Amino acid sequence: MASKTSDRRAKIEAATPKSRGGANRIVVATVVAVLAIAAIVGGVIIADQNRQAEVSKGGSSLPKGASAMGAGLVANTSAPANVPTLDIWADFQCPACKQFEDAFGDQVNEMAQNNQIRLRVHMLSFLDKNLGNDSSNRSANAGFCAADQDAFLPFFRGIYAIQPAQEGTGYTDAQLQQVAQASGINGAGLDRWKKCYDAREHNQYVESVQTQSAKDGVNSTPTIKLDGKPLQLQGLTPQTFADQVKAATK
Amino acid sequence: MSVLSDQPQVGERGRLRSPRTLDVVGLLARLALGGVMLAAGLLKVAKPDVSARAVQAYQLLPFDLATYVGYGLPILEILLGALLVLGLFTRTAAAVAGVLLVAFIIGIASAWARGISIDCGCFGQGGTIDPSQTRYLEEILRDVGLVLCAAWLVTRPRTAYSLERTLFA
Repeated sequence: MASKTSDRRAKIEAATPKSRGGANRIVVATVVAVLAIAAIVGGVIIADQNRQAEVSKGGSSLPKGASAMGAGLVANTSAPANVPTLDIWADFQCPACKQFEDAFGDQVNEMAQNNQIRLRVHMLSFLDKNLGNDSSNRSANAGFCAADQDAFLPFFRGIYAIQPAQEGTGYTDAQLQQVAQASGINGAGLDRWKKCYDAREHNQYVESVQTQSAKDGVNSTPTIKLDGKPLQLQGLTPQTFADQVKAATK
Repeated sequence: MSVLSDQPQVGERGRLRSPRTLDVVGLLARLALGGVMLAAGLLKVAKPDVSARAVQAYQLLPFDLATYVGYGLPILEILLGALLVLGLFTRTAAAVAGVLLVAFIIGIASAWARGISIDCGCFGQGGTIDPSQTRYLEEILRDVGLVLCAAWLVTRPRTAYSLERTLFA
């Protein structure tokens, strides 16, 4: 039995080509490891450079109503100190944001007009990456150029009114201009809006808001906070919304 | 009674423990782990910024580090997946994949424990979702299953139809 086993082993060894027939394990391992590290490091560097190029594109001026890079745009700067701040993080391409706008847009707009809240809007653009277009970025830029002409809220509402049914269809430049005009921007104001939009004067601000929101852990839209506390959208009614605003008013 | 005995194996138990059967179990573990890794990487690699956002959403790593991890992870997953599917450096690839999966499990469990509502971002997407949409248990169980595959391959890296057996003969 023992001799039979060793006999068989010998036969197997004889039949198996020795290492001179196969590739050198260490050489192959080194090649694979070097290629792997190059691929990962290269990929990270390329992605980072693309991102840096994006955030430094366009102009660095702040739109009217924004106090700093990364900060939200205050739609009604005349709001008194005792009213709560309503922060809205939204993306012009986000269908759920349109749903919120359809359900509560009138109410929010009215509260802002009457200075019952300080409305601060953080316009995000991350959906461009998911959807593979640039409509969130362009429409945000267009919106902030509208803010310079004191027409941010009408523009904001106007965009959601024409949001395509199919997410990802996006907006053309002509559509953005139509919304700007429908928001009451015309004449010399429209010329300034066009110049602002074509030069993407606020693009670095758009990118800074996106980055800041991600840093603050806000990575879905719409996110609504009342005086810093997340507002539960599920089951929210105009009445419960108004009650919460009232309760937060000092 | 050893499985290496050259006595013909008789009966179910013997056949189930034969090296050939264990090689096939290894092959299945290799293809399951490698296939999932490869798919996860390929689904994310074209959208590095989405991947970066998914890692940032865990709020575990410093922001910039999370960004770089998000950029690099899909590439690492593709490389590990390819090695495992091919059966090249199976033990090393399985060990690295296992460590990665344990890190993923810790990340998901931590998000669950902290009450953050996110998609794991394992196969793209990621980021905050409605609390009713979270599937933490399912995601963790899937990763535990894959860790078991990795553990098998680290313990017994010999598998059927592996490139390393042909290449380093």
